[in-house]
Amino acid sequence: MSEETPESAMIEKIRTALKLVIDPELGYNIVDLGLIYDVAVKDGHEAIITMTTTTKGCPATDYLRMGARDAAFSLDSIDEAEIILTYTPPWTPQMMSPEAKTHFRIAD
Amino acid sequence: MMAMPGATLSRWTLAYFAAAVVSLLLAEGLMAAGFGYPSAGIRAPETLAVVHCVTIGWMSLLMLGALFQFVPVLIAGPIHDNDLPLPALVLILLGLLTLIASFLQLAGLLPPARATFLIATVLLGAGFTLALWVLGRTLAGAWPLNLPAQFVAVGLASVAATAAFGIIFTLGFGGWAGSPALARLHALGVPLHIIAGLGGWLSFTAIGVSHRLLAMFMLSPELEGASVRWTFRLGCLALAIIIGVGAVVAAAGHDPGWVLALGGLAGLGCLGLYGRDAVQLYRKRLRPLIELNSRMAAIALLHLAAAAILITFCTLSGLLGRSVGALVFLSCFGWLSGLGLAKLYKIVAFVTWLECYGPVLGKTATPRVQDLVVEPRAVKWFWLYFAAVDVATLCLFFGLVHGFRTAAATMCLATAGIALELVRTRRLSNVKEPLRLPQGVREPRLLFTVIAN
Repeated sequence: MSEETPESAMIEKIRTALKLVIDPELGYNIVDLGLIYDVAVKDGHEAIITMTTTTKGCPATDYLRMGARDAAFSLDSIDEAEIILTYTPPWTPQMMSPEAKTHFRIAD
Repeated sequence: MMAMPGATLSRWTLAYFAAAVVSLLLAEGLMAAGFGYPSAGIRAPETLAVVHCVTIGWMSLLMLGALFQFVPVLIAGPIHDNDLPLPALVLILLGLLTLIASFLQLAGLLPPARATFLIATVLLGAGFTLALWVLGRTLAGAWPLNLPAQFVAVGLASVAATAAFGIIFTLGFGGWAGSPALARLHALGVPLHIIAGLGGWLSFTAIGVSHRLLAMFMLSPELEGASVRWTFRLGCLALAIIIGVGAVVAAAGHDPGWVLALGGLAGLGCLGLYGRDAVQLYRKRLRPLIELNSRMAAIALLHLAAAAILITFCTLSGLLGRSVGALVFLSCFGWLSGLGLAKLYKIVAFVTWLECYGPVLGKTATPRVQDLVVEPRAVKWFWLYFAAVDVATLCLFFGLVHGFRTAAATMCLATAGIALELVRTRRLSNVKEPLRLPQGVREPRLLFTVIAN
């Protein structure tokens, strides 16, 4: 079992904060939808979030990026954030959490 | 650097939608009142006034408004100029009113004035040119175009062709077309004008955009490869034959009937492949429960299939001449308007969500797009609309004028019900407190989008 470090605790806090951001079309938070590919913390105060959107060219893309940045900023210890948007690999509904899959009735 | 989110919102799309819905209500009201076909002849000026209220006022403004919002989505780039669509809308509306007035003059309902057709031509020509400039420049910034954008580009070329035919006809009506070739085009080219408009501009563009929108809204895998490419090629071939060859044949004074048949074969192939693609998109969707817009789009697609089958049957059995009014009506209202109303219901909610809640995402809890609408309340208007369209089509087939007028009045009622739902969506009336207006969110304007910086 891996030991919790201050950095992994911070990453978990960021992931929790990111749950405030929903994909407007699906109406579910971007963490459980699997749109957050990676969260890292640099120097204890900078969040680096790698994310995608359900479809390339989605009109909500920039709002989602800024939403992710603002959610990270809601934590007192984060004062810088880099949001990396990627489509590699492309998102599929199989990346959803089990709860989200159940919600959308998507089979494993 | 992070892009400005507002760059993905079209400022004037809502104004186009409002003008479009008012035009549809007006046209349905006129049909219910017995104005134009079938109370008057199919080529009577009264009929032409109603037809252009539908095709320019309703369907073209709806399509242009949607394209200003979704072409940037298709190409994943910004719109070329977010302000020019407003003068384009004003010019098109003034041109449409002048065109309708010109037809009413021809019908003897207004005092004659020869210049009105010319003024209508100039205003409509200028309005569509501006709109095409914005969309064309937006597409040009994303060269080489992806396949959905290629459909739109061909649609834009088709609206230019439709407008060119229309200009020739209006000049002919006003007595300004002196050349014999133009006079022959005026006499023989009406089917080319109709097919360029309904087929090339409205249907072909809708086919291209719907590939993407259906996949996006139902979480279906994007269709790629040979099938969609052949849909595109066959559609282009059909349009090139009908518009290109047809225009040459008509200008030479020959009946373009055989050209229509040849182009129609390619068009049927295109529709057949599109039908197969649409079935794939619905069957392979990863979202088992689909929203009202996707369900109603499926009903519109069934109307397209019915129209294609009936047009083929009537052509082969020699019934096309007497059933053309019913078939065009079915294509306009069952397929194009049905799809248009379904997607309008979704796009208004989506654009309103982006405008109001996009800027506060991550700062506060926000509603879903679906929280802006109440589908169980809206769906009855859609069913009423499609049922009324089907009854109206049957009445046209069997020559039942009073039945048609009653069905048109029902369509008008259903459209008004849908329009009221759109206003409620725009007013955020369906969003429950406290999510409705959190700090930093203002109630949106009805007719335009306020783009946050």
